[in-house]
Amino acid sequence: MNGRRILIVVAAVALLILVLPMTVAGEEETTNITIGVNEYVVLNNDIYIEVRDVGTVGISYAEVWFRSSQDAVGTTKNLYRGDVPAIYISGTGLKIEVTLDYIFSNAASFGITSSKALYVTDRKAGKVETEPVTVPKLIIKRTIDPNEAEIGQTVKVTLTIKNTGNGTATDITLAEGTIAKTYKDGCPSTIDDIAAGATERIEYDLKIGDDVQPGTREMPASVLNYKGETGVSDSTESQSSVLEIIAGEVLLPELTISTDPIDYVVTCGDEVPMVVTITNVGNATSEKVYVKGDLPHGVRLKGGELEPIYESIKPDKSEEYEVTLVANEEGEHVVEMNVMWADEEATAVFEFRAEKSGLEKYYVYIIAAIPILLILLWIIKRRREYSY
Amino acid sequence: MLNILVLGLGQCGNRILDAMNREAFGRGGTFAKYYTRQKFPASVKTIAINTAINDLKGLVDTRARDRLHVPHLHGVGANRTIGKRVFEENKEIIMSEIDKRGTFDLIFIITSAAGGSGSSFAPLLIRELKETYTNAPVVCITVLPFREEGSIFLQNAAFCLKDVIDEKPTGVLLVDNQYLKKYAGDIKSAYDKINNTTARRLLFLIEALNSEMLMVTDLGDLKTVMNGGIGIGTMGFYEASKDSTIKSAILGSFKPSGLLFPTNVYKEGARAMLIIKGDKKYLDLDLITKTIEELSTEIGQVFKGVLVQRGRPRVLSLFTLNSVPELEKLYATAAEAIRFEKERRDRSRNQLDSAFSHIEDLEPIY
Ligand SMILES: Nc1nc2c(ncn2[C@@H]2O[C@H](COP(=O)(O)OP(=O)(O)OP(=O)(O)O)[C@@H](O)[C@H]2O)c(=O)[nH]1
Ligand SMILES: [Mg+2]
Repeated sequence: MNGRRILIVVAAVALLILVLPMTVAGEEETTNITIGVNEYVVLNNDIYIEVRDVGTVGISYAEVWFRSSQDAVGTTKNLYRGDVPAIYISGTGLKIEVTLDYIFSNAASFGITSSKALYVTDRKAGKVETEPVTVPKLIIKRTIDPNEAEIGQTVKVTLTIKNTGNGTATDITLAEGTIAKTYKDGCPSTIDDIAAGATERIEYDLKIGDDVQPGTREMPASVLNYKGETGVSDSTESQSSVLEIIAGEVLLPELTISTDPIDYVVTCGDEVPMVVTITNVGNATSEKVYVKGDLPHGVRLKGGELEPIYESIKPDKSEEYEVTLVANEEGEHVVEMNVMWADEEATAVFEFRAEKSGLEKYYVYIIAAIPILLILLWIIKRRREYSY
Repeated sequence: MLNILVLGLGQCGNRILDAMNREAFGRGGTFAKYYTRQKFPASVKTIAINTAINDLKGLVDTRARDRLHVPHLHGVGANRTIGKRVFEENKEIIMSEIDKRGTFDLIFIITSAAGGSGSSFAPLLIRELKETYTNAPVVCITVLPFREEGSIFLQNAAFCLKDVIDEKPTGVLLVDNQYLKKYAGDIKSAYDKINNTTARRLLFLIEALNSEMLMVTDLGDLKTVMNGGIGIGTMGFYEASKDSTIKSAILGSFKPSGLLFPTNVYKEGARAMLIIKGDKKYLDLDLITKTIEELSTEIGQVFKGVLVQRGRPRVLSLFTLNSVPELEKLYATAAEAIRFEKERRDRSRNQLDSAFSHIEDLEPIY
């Protein structure tokens, strides 16, 4: 559409040139004039407006040289599209306000406003462009699939760029919006030329970092800068996108430790088997698993390794080992078993009761019986001594 | 310390010896032997010798190894002739058993005069002991029978006493069952009482001989006393009541009630020995000396020993006699019994002979 408007404008300019001198006066009338590069028009036999250069630096600009009959040096100004009007006052006091409407590959179109009626009284024109100007027009659309993902996952970002203009878009650069702590894989910063009417698809992976905070994130727009064949620059941008980051399932090892049996009455000096089972109930393999055992006073290790080290335990897998303990002292004994992995640890206790050994239990009686026995022996001895 | 040998012969001698052993256990009673040792006032060795094993088994407080059985079935049945033969046959065994117990300073032989074993062993043993232990005085305690025990016991007593005297022991001390029957109603209790009394007096004497005394009497004195008179004597004893004087205690020990054999000490006494024990407060030495001097005028030589010991004054008197009227009576009775026995036996023999004469010259016809 823009292209067509440009064509109309160009046609109108040509017509104007033919009907010179032409009245452009009126109260605060705006006169539209297109001036080629290195060409000028003369307004009211007074003000010369000469276009020195046109280009695009982010936005379109035109370098314009204003002078007048009594101001031969004049002033050169850069006019930017969409900028406030540039003001020039001639040596005779004619004031104009100039805005840059469009630039073309080799011309610029201005809107000139003045309180006096303006006439183009002279003009130095090059050859008038008869061919229609080819202008690319890119539209960029972005999709994220899926747009709801877990931490650590990778989503696919698809950029669909369509050239709706009539010229090839060249020098396309892509400034892709970024979500903190997500990582792009395969996202180009420059894109091949796109012919008029063509559509380019770009896909890249976006990995959601492990340390990202879950929640709804806005991905700022993708910005495309490009040029047309005429060298005119333009840019376009997509809508911003939304990515829902879900706190995904965290993969962690989780170990439990248990001992068997629990509550056990034994006799001092007897062997007590202790079976220790370590199970990974987490969803990740645990590396380097240490087991520490704390034997209480009065209990000693008779057999087996109390503190084994496991290189790794896979999820849902168990390690089991058995040690033999012996209690030397009577009473309640609590053996504390710890399993340690990463920075975590879990504890199990193994409790048992040791009672005096059979002999010890009757120790008092035996002690008491000894003198009685001795007395008895003595009596028997005496009886024999005195019986005939 | 004196080494003293006490030999108990026959049932009677065994029992008195057992009583001495029981006394040596102190006041412990029946069970004393299970927890304490015998304590004699000197080094006392006791041997019970018997031909009857049952008599030896009946002993209670004498050690088994101090019981010597001289095998001859169940005693010699009061037959002294058999008894003498058995002794001669077993002399070596008996003497070696005694020999095992070392040497002795004083020997007591206790026996009844009326039985078979003891009464026949005693004189022979005196002979042997005198030969073997030449320096040791041998005192024979002889128990006389109840007079109604029969003619055999009586004649045994008579002959035994004669045999004993003939062997010239240092002395003979008489204990008269008949006289001491008064102690108890029944024979068994009387025996126990007589045995205990005799045992205690012997131990009392032994203790005095072995002790440090305030006034001294010793083995030499004992010998002298025993040599007095006819070498036969007995013992008296008196335990004073609280407030009686020592004099009355001394005199009490000569009274018939305290004697083991009936005699009139003042009349028959030849020599005496007095052993006085008691708390020092009772022991007025002057009074003792004075009293004994008085006694000496009537009895002859009186030796004295005074021993300080807890308790009221107790006095043991031991003496020999110049004459023994009671013994004469006993011998008279014995002789009469022997004669009567002999006559009866002769008569029976004659009757039997005349009965047999009916079948003289005849042969049984079948
Ligand atoms: N005082 C006293 N006299 C007893 C005791 N036993 C027996 N007699 C007396 O001793 C006399 C009998 O002598 P025993 O000692 O029994 O006889 P024995 O020497 O064993 O001789 P046999 O038995 O004949 O071989 C009798 O006069 C009894 O009265 C006793 O325990 N105490
Ligand atoms: Mg007998």
